[in-house]
Amino acid sequence: MEERGRVAGELERLIDGGTPHKSAVASQVPMPPPRNPRSAIHAKSPITKELGEEDVGMEEVSVVIDGRQPSWLNGVELLEDAKWNKHVLPTGCKGIDILLGGGLREGQLTEIVGPSSSGKTQVCLHSALGVADVHLGVVLFLDTCNSFSPHRIAHMVNSQSDTLVKEGKEGRLKRIMSSILCHSLFDIFELLDVLHQLECKLKHQVKSSGNRIRLLIVDSISSLITPILGGKNSQGRLMMITTGILLKKIANEYNLSVLVTNHMVGGEGGSLKPALGESWKNIPHVRLSLSRDQGSNVCNVSILKHTIIASGRTAKFVIDN
Amino acid sequence: MSETSRFRSLEGGHGALKGAQTAWDMLSEEQMQKHITTGCEELDAILGGGIHCKEVTEVGGVPGIGKTQLGIQLAVNVQIPVECGGLGGKAIYIDTEGSFMVERAHQIAEGCISDLLDNTAHRLKDFPACPEILQPNSFLANIFYFRICSYTEQIATINYLEKFLEEQKDVKIIVVDSITFHFRQDFDDLALRTRVLGGMSLKLMRFAKKYSLAVVLLNQVTTKFVEGSFHLTLALGDTWSHACTNRIILYWNGNDRHAYIDKSPSLRSATAPFLITGKGIRNATSHCKRVRMM
Repeated sequence: MEERGRVAGELERLIDGGTPHKSAVASQVPMPPPRNPRSAIHAKSPITKELGEEDVGMEEVSVVIDGRQPSWLNGVELLEDAKWNKHVLPTGCKGIDILLGGGLREGQLTEIVGPSSSGKTQVCLHSALGVADVHLGVVLFLDTCNSFSPHRIAHMVNSQSDTLVKEGKEGRLKRIMSSILCHSLFDIFELLDVLHQLECKLKHQVKSSGNRIRLLIVDSISSLITPILGGKNSQGRLMMITTGILLKKIANEYNLSVLVTNHMVGGEGGSLKPALGESWKNIPHVRLSLSRDQGSNVCNVSILKHTIIASGRTAKFVIDN
Repeated sequence: MSETSRFRSLEGGHGALKGAQTAWDMLSEEQMQKHITTGCEELDAILGGGIHCKEVTEVGGVPGIGKTQLGIQLAVNVQIPVECGGLGGKAIYIDTEGSFMVERAHQIAEGCISDLLDNTAHRLKDFPACPEILQPNSFLANIFYFRICSYTEQIATINYLEKFLEEQKDVKIIVVDSITFHFRQDFDDLALRTRVLGGMSLKLMRFAKKYSLAVVLLNQVTTKFVEGSFHLTLALGDTWSHACTNRIILYWNGNDRHAYIDKSPSLRSATAPFLITGKGIRNATSHCKRVRMM
């Protein structure tokens, strides 16, 4: 609504700021909200053909409107974008990578759901390590339950580095750990603020620099949303969906992958179902369900929802100590 | 917030994001961080040195297993002076059930001090101020005690803690005994309960991170009917089980008390036996019979 108001205001300013008699014409010809901006503006209505200055005003207006809306892409351009810009980031857990056909895809929001202590945080730490290791870029870890453990990541790095000769263990550890940024937040408003700051920063960043953010992890998003969801007003659901849409927008425009974790609540008959309800179900592109038997290291992962792969496929992976 | 002002706020901090830290810096900080010892060496070993600061640890178990004893022991052990390897901090004890016994706390403080004087006598010779600090009464004076009688008081106290922690900078542990008591009865609206508990756990997480202290929450058990059989699980449901960073379950194994790490991002699952003696929580030695407390 605000956007439309702003555009309408700028339209008025441009139309009024031109020749004085233009405002009379503009009020007689109400412009419909353009569905396809280029075609609506460039289609000349019979009245505007007669006035020469109107074309100049229309060009300025079309520039303003095009700046507000993203440009339209056809299928070929989308395929090119998917091939060249949206790469696949390996998580480092072999079972998950095989199940997902490579790993986490850039431009997509992946959600991991599971009961307590099923390995969700371990998968997040593994993914952060995997992306930081192969010089892919920077990982941003937004932590809401104080579960980011640098000690655990260091342990994982040291247990993996057996074949490297060039870089010393210390150097590799420092390089990997310096590419992982961690920020603690305890409030949905802080999360939205951080995401807006991130958007600003990404807009002004050089595209091909090595410090590009590749993976954004929010662990866990459900602990931020549960305190506001439900109750008499639907403000909580509004914030949840706003956050989801913002995460997907950042993922798509700046070619990074977003990984969030969710917990489970009791459903009918004692079975567990993912938290956050029906409205959240449609927001992530990919949903994975994790479970772990008491006392074992082996986790089962199954696909609840995916854009390409059939749901219901399962795999196992091991959390090594 | 306009775009220009948002961009200006990015100048500080790491440059990527205001307030973010790299994992490398956090690792160096973590390695210098001291842990709060529980008094039992095996339990400390499976905990990676003791209870971690900046984390919320939940301790659950059947009644009579020793949760309150562990809470009191931690409130005493956090005050071990820095010269003897402890944190030298103060404790906040939030009591919802009325199970805190001052005489027992005095006994545990005496036990802790006598063990300190025995074990670290050589270090204490260099610090003449220590004998004055190492008195049971001064240990008791450093435990701030709040008695809660209803869930509204509990919520209010946790909201007020922020101001309290700003004034008292030395607090290094908050023990809540028990977090579940007032939320189990008289709560008709379960959805409201989930929201309130979720908000409370976020606040406690924030305190742990911001003031670098440990938060220990003691929880009760309840039975749950799953797939035709009854299980013992921690109270307050599935949502609450995600509200802590670490979880420790205390249970009986025959006649011995054991502790089991149920959830942790950095520790592997392990069990350790422990003993509750007149002096507090101590190592379990295999040839000792079970010693009942008091």
